[in-house]
Amino acid sequence: MIMFILLSTITVKAFDTPNDGGKSITIKAYNVPETVKKALVYRKTEGDTTYTLAGVMSILSYRFMDADSTIKNGKPYYYRVDFYFPDTVISVEADSPGIAYAQWYDKTKTSSLIFLIVFSTFVLVFIQLAKKDPEGLYIRKIPALDAIDEAVGRSTELGKPTFFVHGLLGITDAGTLAALTILRRVAKKVAEYDTPILVTNYDPIVMTASQETVKQAYTEAGRPDAYNEKNIIYLTYEQFGYTAGVDGLMVREKPGAIFLQGYFFAESLILAETGHSVGAIQIAGTTAKEQLPFFVAACDYVLIGEEMLAASSYIGREPVMLGSVKGSDWGKVFLLAIIGIGVAIGTIGSILQSAGNGALMNVFEKILAFF
Amino acid sequence: MHISTNPWVWIAAILTLAIYSFLYKDNPFYKFAEHLFMGLGIGYGAVLLWYNSIIPRLWNPLAHGTSPTRFFLLIPIALGLLSLGIFSRRYSWLIKYPLAFYMGAVTGLSVPVAFEANIFEQAQGTILKHSMFSNPWLGISNIIMFIGVITTITYFYFSKQHRGLLGKSARVGIVYIMLAFGASFGYTVMARISLLIGRMQFLLHDWLGIIK
Amino acid sequence: MLKKQIPLAITFITGVIIVVTFFIPHPPFGRLQQDALTWYSVIFGFTMLLGVDSLVKFHYTKLRRREKGWWFSIVFYCGFLLSFITGVISEIRFGDAFNINSSFMYFYNTILVPLQSTMFALLAFFIASASYRAFRARNIDATFLLVTAVIVMLGRVPVGYMLWHKLPDLTSWILNVLQLGPMRGIMIGISLGTVAMSLRLILGIERTYLS
Repeated sequence: MIMFILLSTITVKAFDTPNDGGKSITIKAYNVPETVKKALVYRKTEGDTTYTLAGVMSILSYRFMDADSTIKNGKPYYYRVDFYFPDTVISVEADSPGIAYAQWYDKTKTSSLIFLIVFSTFVLVFIQLAKKDPEGLYIRKIPALDAIDEAVGRSTELGKPTFFVHGLLGITDAGTLAALTILRRVAKKVAEYDTPILVTNYDPIVMTASQETVKQAYTEAGRPDAYNEKNIIYLTYEQFGYTAGVDGLMVREKPGAIFLQGYFFAESLILAETGHSVGAIQIAGTTAKEQLPFFVAACDYVLIGEEMLAASSYIGREPVMLGSVKGSDWGKVFLLAIIGIGVAIGTIGSILQSAGNGALMNVFEKILAFF
Repeated sequence: MHISTNPWVWIAAILTLAIYSFLYKDNPFYKFAEHLFMGLGIGYGAVLLWYNSIIPRLWNPLAHGTSPTRFFLLIPIALGLLSLGIFSRRYSWLIKYPLAFYMGAVTGLSVPVAFEANIFEQAQGTILKHSMFSNPWLGISNIIMFIGVITTITYFYFSKQHRGLLGKSARVGIVYIMLAFGASFGYTVMARISLLIGRMQFLLHDWLGIIK
Repeated sequence: MLKKQIPLAITFITGVIIVVTFFIPHPPFGRLQQDALTWYSVIFGFTMLLGVDSLVKFHYTKLRRREKGWWFSIVFYCGFLLSFITGVISEIRFGDAFNINSSFMYFYNTILVPLQSTMFALLAFFIASASYRAFRARNIDATFLLVTAVIVMLGRVPVGYMLWHKLPDLTSWILNVLQLGPMRGIMIGISLGTVAMSLRLILGIERTYLS
């Protein structure tokens, strides 16, 4: 009698796994009593006489994704699930075969698409507006970038070289690209002041990009003859080996100014403290939020996260770059507006729900799920 | 005291002391350890790259694979060879091609990931929900967190002068940032001290056998 | 054209394709992101030769000209050849340089790991000196940093509990609540800045990498 009741309540459905590239079928069970101990999923295809074990269904979600390498798109697969109860085993077949297909669009990424379109629109619109009215653009003061000239000047007065230490990520990191922009500014200043510069690199591609950047800066400063490729050196491809090498150079060369720019890890404090011990003025910049506290504690100036990414706009002051910064700022406003609206709906919805009307609360839950 | 007779323990101990000698001042022992470290590091990096990248992603598919699409791997080989143009003054500009591919691929990858993994998750966590106010202290804490997020974002607003409401909000933001940095700093101190304990244990136990 | 326009076009086309394929799971688009990462690591393997070449030339020049500290360049070469040759020998002997019994891994564990650990352990000393300077509270912002740092440091050790039994709870609150807001804000800012920079790169507005 109990077996009959269990058989009549449990249903199993097999369907194409949504939002994927195909070759995957999802099997879901409904109305499964909580006393189930385990559930095994079996599969067969057309022409097969027996089922073969496909896998173990989760008894938390009652869901199993069959992504076996033998699954082909467009072919029907039949499933049976064996539910193990304390006293019995119930086998339930899926009411229809599952057929896998590849989707052309992943619906779960709609929120990313919308935000990408909105953000890109802001950036492009403000870039166009900037081209029409370059005077109307403003970027707030970033003290660390203003201090570049002061740092290089101090180094020149003391007759000491300027060090530029790249971080540990490659040229594909946004922070490393921002560091190259700052390097260009530093290199131009050292070329004008005729101060020696030493650029250390962890990544070979960053080294070649640094060489080109410094060469270009010297040319812009009217001193192409003063450029020395040997001042841009590659140390090693090991985190603490790089740190040991940079530290050694710092204590031997005793620079007057040190720029620590890029993405750093645990070695950030070692570099910053060694730089401080040689008496150099230090300007750090990183997008590694875990290392920012150490740079703030040990360095004279710090570019915090996004301030570093705004460096190319700040230093160059080109209207197009400033326009993109404004577009990015409007992206922040949009995000803050969504958060604000979400909070407002959630608050009002909560009040209404306690009064017996849960409709707005449902809207709020859907907004959260959309993210 | 039970001094180790293993020569490799002695080598490790001497190199440890050579690195620590840097704390006093630069000296030939530190320079020796530094240069050895850099040499070993680049050799290790080259071997690691060979085994983690070249062999599984290039050699195995080309030499032992059966899929016809594996010949697309000739494209990154060609781009990689272009980067070697840097060795020639005349053809050094050829490195711009693999660089351009790098930049396009990685920036293309980073854009949607930035939204999904960072922006949306953080924004979703910031939106105040009813469950966050199950008790007064939890509610106050979540409001403090909420204010922290909003004011920190306003600090990074670059295209307007920080005056009036924006200025006040940005000022609150930088205070929050300093409080957060202090917390991170204090949190890491113990972890860093424990690193020193680990090395001391090696020297005093494994090398000199002074402690058990 | 060859030196500027074509690289910019490559960046644009590759960037747009990779962004679009993020939303399209259907083959072959769904695989393109993974393939791009594979291509990236293959190209990087070639560029590593640039780094090795640069280092070898740098130290060779120092040796040849007998510049100050030239004999340390010999030490560098010894380290490089030691790891590289043992890597090759281990591959031939074991089929895998990272086999636990290989000489490559032996030198890694006996020389490289102690060096790494010791450099890492230097942080204990440097964090003490950084703390001493940071805690002198030159301005109001540094005072805020000092206050939370001291509370968290004390709250994580037994003496903190002895001073005030609620200090560990306050520490936990600072780490889970007070710190969370600004770190989220910084992360959102960095992510938006990265997206803006990525868009500038794809559109060819930002050309730093081409110099």
